[in-house]
Amino acid sequence: MRCAVAAIACVAGFGLSAWACEPARDASRIAVAGGSLTEIVYLLGAEDRLVAVDTTSNYPEAATELPSVGYVRSLSAEGLLSLRPTLILGENDMGPPVVMEQLQAAGVDTVRVAEQHDAEGILTKVACVAGVLGIADQAKARLRELRALADELAPHSSVAEDAPRVAMLLSLRDGAPVAAGDNTSGGGFLRMAGARNVFPDIDGWKPVSTEAFAAANPDVIVIPARGARALGGAAEVAAQPALRLTAAARNGRIVVLDGMAMLGFGPRTLQAALDFANQIDDATTGGSE
Amino acid sequence: MFPAVRIGARRRPIFGRRARASSAAVTLATRRKRIVVLLGCVLVAVLWYALVTGAVPISIGTLLEDSEAGAFERTVFAGIRSPRVVLAAFVGASLALAGASLQGLFRNPLADPGLIGVSSGAALGAISMIVLGSALAVPDWLNPYVLPLAAVAGAGLVTVFIYLFAQRFGQFNIVTILLLGIAVNALAGVGIGAFQYMSDDAQLRTLTFWMMGSFARATWLAVLPAVALMVVAGIALLGQQRALDRLQLGEAEARHVGVDVLRVKRLIVMLSAAAAGAGGAVAGAIGFVGLVVPHLARLLGGAAHGFVLPASVLLGGALMVCADLLARTAVTPAELPVGLVTSAIGAPFFLWLIARARPR
Repeated sequence: MRCAVAAIACVAGFGLSAWACEPARDASRIAVAGGSLTEIVYLLGAEDRLVAVDTTSNYPEAATELPSVGYVRSLSAEGLLSLRPTLILGENDMGPPVVMEQLQAAGVDTVRVAEQHDAEGILTKVACVAGVLGIADQAKARLRELRALADELAPHSSVAEDAPRVAMLLSLRDGAPVAAGDNTSGGGFLRMAGARNVFPDIDGWKPVSTEAFAAANPDVIVIPARGARALGGAAEVAAQPALRLTAAARNGRIVVLDGMAMLGFGPRTLQAALDFANQIDDATTGGSE
Repeated sequence: MFPAVRIGARRRPIFGRRARASSAAVTLATRRKRIVVLLGCVLVAVLWYALVTGAVPISIGTLLEDSEAGAFERTVFAGIRSPRVVLAAFVGASLALAGASLQGLFRNPLADPGLIGVSSGAALGAISMIVLGSALAVPDWLNPYVLPLAAVAGAGLVTVFIYLFAQRFGQFNIVTILLLGIAVNALAGVGIGAFQYMSDDAQLRTLTFWMMGSFARATWLAVLPAVALMVVAGIALLGQQRALDRLQLGEAEARHVGVDVLRVKRLIVMLSAAAAGAGGAVAGAIGFVGLVVPHLARLLGGAAHGFVLPASVLLGGALMVCADLLARTAVTPAELPVGLVTSAIGAPFFLWLIARARPR
């Protein structure tokens, strides 16, 4: 029900944007809004067509040298148009809707790429971008490599009853952990890696009380590098009062991963999920000895 | 109901000024007129400069040419740049006017729409719509209006609440209104916090940007109803300049010289709420303009409301257009939230005002 409402709201709000992956009219000058899409454009070797990226596009390094059009959800119409893009490629949260309408009124093609938080979603995304850019044939080799990775990941992705219980944290805001619940990229990442989310009943990213976090007692805690850096590294994370009491902190199973690689759901997320799956497998076998 | 008339509390001889109508007073009036005309010219110049400046280089020649080549420039100029420049001018003008009127009404140089809770009311209205709006079945054509309407409704509700509460439990006096403003701000803070907690990631980002204010969402469709409301409220406020001047003597004194004090207070609070609420509704929360611009106006030409109100309108419009120009050109192709720019300019200016006001 909630999903249906959200979908309707989405279609109503973003009604004019195309979802399709047909080749764009003219994909010679591309502005990208969304880190994973920038990553895909580089993966497909079409980076020479990029004229601008958004602030979430921090990989690869070279992308950060392109003009920045601001945050993916608060693009500037005139700023974008001043770069004369022929195509604006964005993730599903690209906006605001008024700006998208203004961009279309100015005759720029805007394409929204659907997002789905699993391995298939990533493959679909890459294929879609290749389709829009009109380089589907050249992309086949890349897609085969990604498919191989996804196949390697697939056996891990079935979440077993006794799979390790993992908490995915975004940050510790004033010591209160902000954790991934259901319907989040973090939750999707955990499923891909075959881990059980300790907070399956939370919807979205939410601050969790210190006591509730201790009671949930995760076996492993994952935190993006930026969140860990803000606290002074993995050791400091484990020493936080909110986390100190958990099995994860006692056994030193705090995993620090690159945030965009883990949560961006671009090509790198497959490798990150595979690495994480192996890491928690080692941890659980190590623990049972 | 009527407070005791304080005999001898008159701060200034009421009719003294008129009796001493000297050549000095005439010169002052002429000087004020000249300053208002000058500010008008400044506003026109600023508007012109803002319209021809932006991330996309546009020359007037291309706009007038009826060729295929200029179609892109024309779309950018007419559909993107013009509405936001116009909106910035109107929002700046009406925030400054509301601030000047409230400062006059409360005889307190710190009063602004934020103080009596109107701005938080508008914020709460808009934020509740951001978070809960997707659950409402809103017809497509209504979509652009939903957020501004919710903000105006929020501002209106707060005003009516303050008014009714003050009437029921106290007098409609200045201290009650200011204290109520503090309480309402705190209550609205609770509501905003609750919605922030409930919101998902996407809503939270929208909300954060709304709290910082921006003219980026300006389209003619959204601009015109807000502008209409601001114009009506603004004209009515400008009509109160004489009553505001008399209120400066004190409420009892104003009553003696024929001001219907209660009616004027009601009118000015309501009209300021409408002007500031309509502005906040389309542009988000923009701080310090309502507070600082009237002070600037008084620095230029003294405290008479016949001067301060029109000067605040012109100065507020010009300053806001400049702030928005800075917001949209400083980091092209991205842009800054305009509320950030106005607060960055306004807060230090405010500190300077405090330092300057210290008795020597």
